[in-house]
Amino acid sequence: MDTKLLAGRRQLVNRWGQDQAQPANVVVSPTMTVEKTQVHCLRCDQRTSRAQAMLPNDQYYCPKCLNLGRVSTLARFYHVPEPNQFYPPADVLAWQGHLSSLQTRVASEVKHSMANHEHRLLWAVTGAGKTEMIFPTVAQALQRKERVGIASPRVDVCLELYPRFTAAFRVPIALLHGRAKESYSYKQLTICTTHQLLRFYHAFDLLIVDEVDAFPYASNKALLYATKQALKPTGGLLLMTATPGKTLFEAVRRGHLQVSYLPLRYHGHLLPEIHCHLCWHWRAMLNKGRLPAHLLFWLKTRCRSQQRFLLFVPRISDLGPLKDILQRVLPHSVKFATVYSNDPDRLTKVQAMRDHQYLFLVTTTILERGVTFPGIDVGVLGADEPVFSSSALVQIAGRVGRSAKCPNGQVHFWINEYSRSIRQAQKEIRTMNIKGRRLLSEMSAL
Amino acid sequence: MKCLLCNRPIYWQVPIAKLFLFGPLTPPRICERCRAKFQHYMGPFCPCCGRSSGNGLCAECRRWQDQYGWVLHNRCLYHYNQAMKEFMHRYKFVGDYRLRAVFHAEMQSFIDRQQYDYLVPIPVTQETMATRGFNQTAGLIDGYDGHLLLTRAVEKGVPQSAKSREQRLQTPQPFKLQPDVSLDHRRILLVDDIYTTGRTLYHAATLLKAAGAASVSSLTLSG
Ligand SMILES: [Zn+2]
Ligand SMILES: [Zn+2]
Ligand SMILES: [Zn+2]
Repeated sequence: MDTKLLAGRRQLVNRWGQDQAQPANVVVSPTMTVEKTQVHCLRCDQRTSRAQAMLPNDQYYCPKCLNLGRVSTLARFYHVPEPNQFYPPADVLAWQGHLSSLQTRVASEVKHSMANHEHRLLWAVTGAGKTEMIFPTVAQALQRKERVGIASPRVDVCLELYPRFTAAFRVPIALLHGRAKESYSYKQLTICTTHQLLRFYHAFDLLIVDEVDAFPYASNKALLYATKQALKPTGGLLLMTATPGKTLFEAVRRGHLQVSYLPLRYHGHLLPEIHCHLCWHWRAMLNKGRLPAHLLFWLKTRCRSQQRFLLFVPRISDLGPLKDILQRVLPHSVKFATVYSNDPDRLTKVQAMRDHQYLFLVTTTILERGVTFPGIDVGVLGADEPVFSSSALVQIAGRVGRSAKCPNGQVHFWINEYSRSIRQAQKEIRTMNIKGRRLLSEMSAL
Repeated sequence: MKCLLCNRPIYWQVPIAKLFLFGPLTPPRICERCRAKFQHYMGPFCPCCGRSSGNGLCAECRRWQDQYGWVLHNRCLYHYNQAMKEFMHRYKFVGDYRLRAVFHAEMQSFIDRQQYDYLVPIPVTQETMATRGFNQTAGLIDGYDGHLLLTRAVEKGVPQSAKSREQRLQTPQPFKLQPDVSLDHRRILLVDDIYTTGRTLYHAATLLKAAGAASVSSLTLSG
């Protein structure tokens, strides 16, 4: 058994055929506890009724985290405490880019905080350039021979971060996610999905979690458990997000988390605020072949001025009727397309939008993170429906004004009524803009 | 109730006709959409392996006929298609024992209609029992009485599922009959999860016949 692979990890080992003595540094521990009516999984922290978790002969397994390899009472955890045997080169940071004065300010605050292994939330608006801002922090940790983990709930974020970190740092990096073909290897720097964190145990001296709010970790409890397991008890934790949501706000309010704000985008502009318009029974109208008057007006003005935009709708079944109406009411010269998440032509349509072949897209889905269209407006029909969480709405609004050339743009919602998510999204954006304005006036005073 | 395979909610209404019948009502454990992905064998069947065959005994079974001088009578419920492969993967290799409920009612209702003295699911090795934690075949059916009849020796080298067709056919007898068992004039119903080459079932049937069994028939979930 290669004990190096167990360092900072908890590996499931079957009791069968493991009667011989273990190497001295291996810590063996149970995988589950059996309670009166439930079983408790010590990997994912979830409970399952005994009937659901039952195996023959009074054994049990955890059905909740099966895709990481089955936890059962037939196996035990083998763990080797993290030895931190790393030999990073002196000039570990290869990146030579520059941070704006705003970014530098936050970057050094974070760096200092992580040197002291604090727990901190970096609340940076969409399009703030937060990846580059953490490079100094990561470099500092690597030089101190700390083990560093970068995690995100989303695989696509991990896949996007990996080449950027590979280019920026002169250390080998392990990339771990459910779809990865390569097996696990022991590296000083690891990029992985938050789900994979459940395989680690007290491994990281510095753990950075990007897009904390993102699907599928809507419930932050599971995420916080995974990070707590993977982080050394003395380790530093940096959570990054554009939309903190309730749980994290609460943690900040209670003082469990320090917080750093980056309220301005890398080009120094404020976030676009959300404008809402009430229009009752819009779906019934849609199905009768009509559009709310304000939406129609909004669409026509943009077609006339050739202002590009994205229009979001809650359901795939809304796309058809909407397309029919738009083809009828808009001039034939206006080109557009409808896209949904599993659309087979999704990539070509997005590319055509990038190439200015379409004036706008109507879509049910937040297109991938990397996808930005400079100088667009955004509209959401039915933003009050439950598919749009507050973090999704903030992300959608954040599509506007990304580029330095066109930092302004408009965000409009058409709704039946105000939902909690809309109010939360508006509040988060307003909070950041208040901080942003203050910062701008401080900077102009200097 | 949620679908055991895709986790979507299942909407189920008790059919009115069933309300007036006695006997247990079994609510579905998977949704219509998942159910539709599994494909029943509809016939005409090969009378021996139970899989599709246009004209009686299929070529494979004719080889068994030549080798043993007799053939098994197997009933095979489902095609081994993509959905079944995925099901088997999750049930056996991931080890999600809850999935035993998916085909339980159907397997059991077939068994209830058979005439037999001993019901014998193909045993797994001690090692499988200690690592997987269950016998996947026994899981598919209710309690059985023949579990003491056969034992399975530890597999050496490549596991059955990783073998090629030729390798499978050359697998030596893995089973042992419990000592001092007499099966004189007893009818045996063997059960297995998948019928691949028939090798496993023929090994088991040979032992049981040698111990005096009057007849050996079998049921497999898929093949
Ligand atoms: Zn678990
Ligand atoms: Zn289903
Ligand atoms: Zn046949």
